[in-house]
Amino acid sequence: MSLQNVLTNWSQYRKTHEDGGFYDYEHMWGMSVDLNKCTGCNACSVACYAENNLAVVGKEKFDKGQGMHWMRVERYWDEPDLAAGESTEFSEHGGSFLPMMCQQCNAATCEPVCPVAATYHTPDGLNAQVYNRCIGSRYCSNNCPYRLRYFNFYSYYESSWPEPLNMQLNPDLSVRDKGVMEKCTFCVQRIRVAKDTASRENQALVDGDITPACVQTCPTKALVFGDLINTESKLSKLWASHEVELGKTEQHKKNKEKRGYRVFEELNTDPCVMYLERVKEV
Amino acid sequence: MSGNDINRRKFLKVMGWGGAGAALAGCDMPTTVTLEEGKETVVSYLMPEEYVIPGQGVYFASTCQQCPAGCGVHGRVREGRVLKLEGNAVSPINEGGLCQMGQAGVQTHYNPDRLTKPLLRKGGSLSEVTWEEALAALDEKIGANSSVEGGKVAWMTGTVSGHQSVLLEGLLESLGGAKHYVYDLINNHVAAQVNEAMYGTTRPTYHLTKAKAVLSFGADLVGVSQSPVHFAAEYAKFREAPRGVLIQVEPNMSLTGGNADLWVPAKPGTEGALAMGIAHELINNHGKDASALPSGLNGKIKAYDLAKVETLTGVPTDKVKSIAKILAEKAPSLILTGASIESSENGYAATAAAAMLNVLLGNVGETITSSGGFPFPQLDAKTGSGADLLQFADAAGKGAIDVVFFHGVNPVFTAPGYLDLEAGLGKIPFKVSLSLFADETTNQADLVLPLASALEDWGTHVPAYQPEQSVIAMQQPLMEKLYPATKGFGDILLDMLKLRKVEGYTDFSDYYAFLQDAFAALPAEFKNGVDNASFWNQTLASGFISIPKQNASITANALDIAVTLPGENINYGLSLLPAIRLGMWDGRHANIPWLQEAPDQITKAVWGSWAEIHPKTASRLGLATGDFIKVESVKGDVEVPVYVYRGVFPDSVAVSVGQGHQAYGRYAEGRGVNPLTILDSATDGKTGEPALYGTRVKVSKVAVNKDEILVQFGGSESQVGRKLAATITAEVFNRTEGA
Amino acid sequence: MNKYTYCLYNGKRPVSWVSAILLVLALVFSGAGLAEVPNAVPPEGEHKGDDVPQPIHFPHDTHAKINEINCMYCHTYARRSKVAGIPPTSKCMGCHSVIATDSDRIKKLTEYWEKNESPPWKKVHDVPDYVHFTHEKHMKRFLFDNEDMEVERVSEVCAFCHGEVKDMEVANKVKPLNMGFCQRCHEANGGPSDCWACHK
Repeated sequence: MSLQNVLTNWSQYRKTHEDGGFYDYEHMWGMSVDLNKCTGCNACSVACYAENNLAVVGKEKFDKGQGMHWMRVERYWDEPDLAAGESTEFSEHGGSFLPMMCQQCNAATCEPVCPVAATYHTPDGLNAQVYNRCIGSRYCSNNCPYRLRYFNFYSYYESSWPEPLNMQLNPDLSVRDKGVMEKCTFCVQRIRVAKDTASRENQALVDGDITPACVQTCPTKALVFGDLINTESKLSKLWASHEVELGKTEQHKKNKEKRGYRVFEELNTDPCVMYLERVKEV
Repeated sequence: MSGNDINRRKFLKVMGWGGAGAALAGCDMPTTVTLEEGKETVVSYLMPEEYVIPGQGVYFASTCQQCPAGCGVHGRVREGRVLKLEGNAVSPINEGGLCQMGQAGVQTHYNPDRLTKPLLRKGGSLSEVTWEEALAALDEKIGANSSVEGGKVAWMTGTVSGHQSVLLEGLLESLGGAKHYVYDLINNHVAAQVNEAMYGTTRPTYHLTKAKAVLSFGADLVGVSQSPVHFAAEYAKFREAPRGVLIQVEPNMSLTGGNADLWVPAKPGTEGALAMGIAHELINNHGKDASALPSGLNGKIKAYDLAKVETLTGVPTDKVKSIAKILAEKAPSLILTGASIESSENGYAATAAAAMLNVLLGNVGETITSSGGFPFPQLDAKTGSGADLLQFADAAGKGAIDVVFFHGVNPVFTAPGYLDLEAGLGKIPFKVSLSLFADETTNQADLVLPLASALEDWGTHVPAYQPEQSVIAMQQPLMEKLYPATKGFGDILLDMLKLRKVEGYTDFSDYYAFLQDAFAALPAEFKNGVDNASFWNQTLASGFISIPKQNASITANALDIAVTLPGENINYGLSLLPAIRLGMWDGRHANIPWLQEAPDQITKAVWGSWAEIHPKTASRLGLATGDFIKVESVKGDVEVPVYVYRGVFPDSVAVSVGQGHQAYGRYAEGRGVNPLTILDSATDGKTGEPALYGTRVKVSKVAVNKDEILVQFGGSESQVGRKLAATITAEVFNRTEGA
Repeated sequence: MNKYTYCLYNGKRPVSWVSAILLVLALVFSGAGLAEVPNAVPPEGEHKGDDVPQPIHFPHDTHAKINEINCMYCHTYARRSKVAGIPPTSKCMGCHSVIATDSDRIKKLTEYWEKNESPPWKKVHDVPDYVHFTHEKHMKRFLFDNEDMEVERVSEVCAFCHGEVKDMEVANKVKPLNMGFCQRCHEANGGPSDCWACHK
């Protein structure tokens, strides 16, 4: 939406569907992450570096939490379930791996706090960051409960891509400079290409035309991408089969054993990423 | 014979790369210097192919060279530059997926520290020479008119296969029996020999998808394995409902262990005894038929009652019982082995004991089948072994080698320190390194031949591990060479064959011509009924040639071998475990910035080395995460920061492998430590393989080294009660999502 | 035939511009000239661009005005890609291996050609890196999908952003090509107003 639209309809952006919020979507891109299949191998993360011109910041800055991994894999060691007699001596059930990318919240907490409307919701249901508009206040990143926004504290062009590494840079999106906030876009450049290709051939966009870099590379196909508005998409069916719905702060499932959940949905962020629970043999 | 003009790929004839601020044709290069008119140059194509459209990516198929698995890739090429690699969805090896090392292939290619010119040692230091001078130097040493003695020439390579292997064989033969040492730090040579003895084949095919339970003795299937992406894809299918159960036995957690349902740490070196104990339980309490095993072995199993097994291995009796119960209930199962069991002092016997379980459980013919053979033995993968390294070091130390060639290996870095390979190499008068980078081995060389990158070169590759569908994988250049004075491996081999004036090779103008000729010579049955030109084009488009497998039956004989246990060492009370992970691999990827900054999957450490220690051991030694320790063996010591967690056996210390480079470019050099330098000289008695898990060390706390601190990704180690990565039970999963 | 013919694999959809070419041909033979581009409000804004010395003094007027060559004959990618494309040198040589071969400019061109090089043209029109501009979409809107518009009048559409290039010798930048310029045109002609339609 244009700035004017954002300003005119400001309050709508804070509301979810149920409250009559902005629902004039053309698409609503979403994802599903199957933690039963994810091995935490990190391929998605490096694929994202390759696709999205993510800067390598180096050891010192990484230590300060300035790494730019739009797609990151978190690893948790779960506390042993003492009641079930689990070992306190070893992590007997391995680790819990959690790939985290921007959750593309429909009621994104990052959007209303931007003083210059550099972050907003697109008609594709994406939480957009307009780099050239960003002034680097960092309010958005402070307001993101998932910590999925990354700030360029420095200019990394020279240090991250010494020649000829810069020849690998993807021309379909900018290299962000110092003072700019950046984040996962669900590979919006690939969405653009798919739309342009479809329009060139006077065809409608078909489910499966778009594959973000992380989804493409996943060795276990734990990630699924698609349009949540298109009820026929593989993703929509997956959400439906796990009884996860948008616009809720709590899922009321007929079958409470279904694995689908959204991280922090109780915060009313209405994320577009569904996780499927990890499974363990008792 | 097809000739090759210099501009072999005219459509890539885009000028101006490397020029600062120069924008390529129609390409919006990042960081435009200015929007002012007339300040930037925009250079058009000279003569583009019809399908090349500026601003649009074109995908070409090739084969990943970041490890020997042979995954198919599609390279996205725009304006003559390769920008991104993606998995080839139709490749039976990787089915569209690609691991982080594969993704980072572009950073090997565009690495700022690549060698660009041939180097020749003159008066002590390496200086740039032309290819003519380089080849003249070679001609003098190994040319047809030289006085070369074949027995004193050696090649050392990593895994090599395909037509490059054919050329190399031809060269070795022409040199009159020059020795070919094939060395890879990461190998499965011990298991291959057990397989050979049991099944009559070194490489049976494993069917994870058919297994209902997998017991893995240190096999890092989805991490450091023979085919990481393939096994990850299989793993995902294995985990679909009804969900297979994964039990991992290993002394320190691998990526596969991190995904196990039951992760069981056994005392390093005692996994064989654990396997015997499981067999004991299966026979005594689950009615498994012991007559499937040799009677001598049966007698040995009887000695491993569970109380004894607990004492030996540190694995509680109830754990062994539950493992046996799962295996007995969930048939067919699959027992696999990996480095931690294979690469120990009794590696062969322990691996045979583990493999015996497959016979006892009736898995052979179910989840383990014959590979069906590969119809082109001359193209098949020659995989590396550590024993070859030991033989090479011995020959070098004795002064038995006059000329040596290195390709795809960096033994000065990966060899155990006690071999003192630097000194050994010093006794070889003429050393030639074919390399992309000035690594430790290349810096010792007298002649350095700069290689074209994997994305600039031609080749065929036969994956060592072939899944149900065998392939010959095709590698083709995705772009013009970045540095004109680099050369492909095949082209260099052909040059040498010409120096030797070997009949049958001298007529080929280049390796490309050789490959086309070789393709034309393939039997018609592999060509899908099309002519040679179409077959060539089809292969380039698909990225591989499918090789049908023959259905061959498999029978197995369990080996009657006694398991032995490592001795204790009071002075060096801890076991040293090498932590080898998908990412750094054997250290070859330490020069890739993306992989340096990609957190290790288990410890989440970046840009350096670490040591993993169990909380019990840490508290005994007064250590906490971030402290520094000195890890000391009889062969030397390293100082490294500590990561304390519950994924490592007590009384052992796991040190990460891959860092500690003395050379190898700006990203790798002088970072972290290399634990391979302090390995002890233990070997497996049967196979002669170095025992990477056979070193005893002692540990003491030392002062923090500010340059080498432990930097980890992320905040909390646990979810502290939040529902981030939630978990349900397999019972519920199978009920709701079972077919 | 090039021995190194690489088989094209382009992901999901085979690229087909056959339809575009047919459309071009169909439109070439229809309709008569109109005064202005129909169904369009030309963008407003002026810019006084500097003269840009090019390696070869290329006369647009000779080509586009006197000889009435369609802009897309040389800038062939405009209808199917983001960029219009500087014509490949082979395209220049397609005509100039026989036409005007004795002129100084063509001699210079031939010199480049024989050295297997392209002339280092200077960039005149540019947008910042954070802008996603695609020629294809604009050509579709104002030319190919524009019912009453004939394709031989393409230069009038090009002129929206590039000025009357057919009246220039070496091209100059005469439109500001800044966000306001784009934005006003988008508002007048129903272009998208979503930030991410144009910013990347």
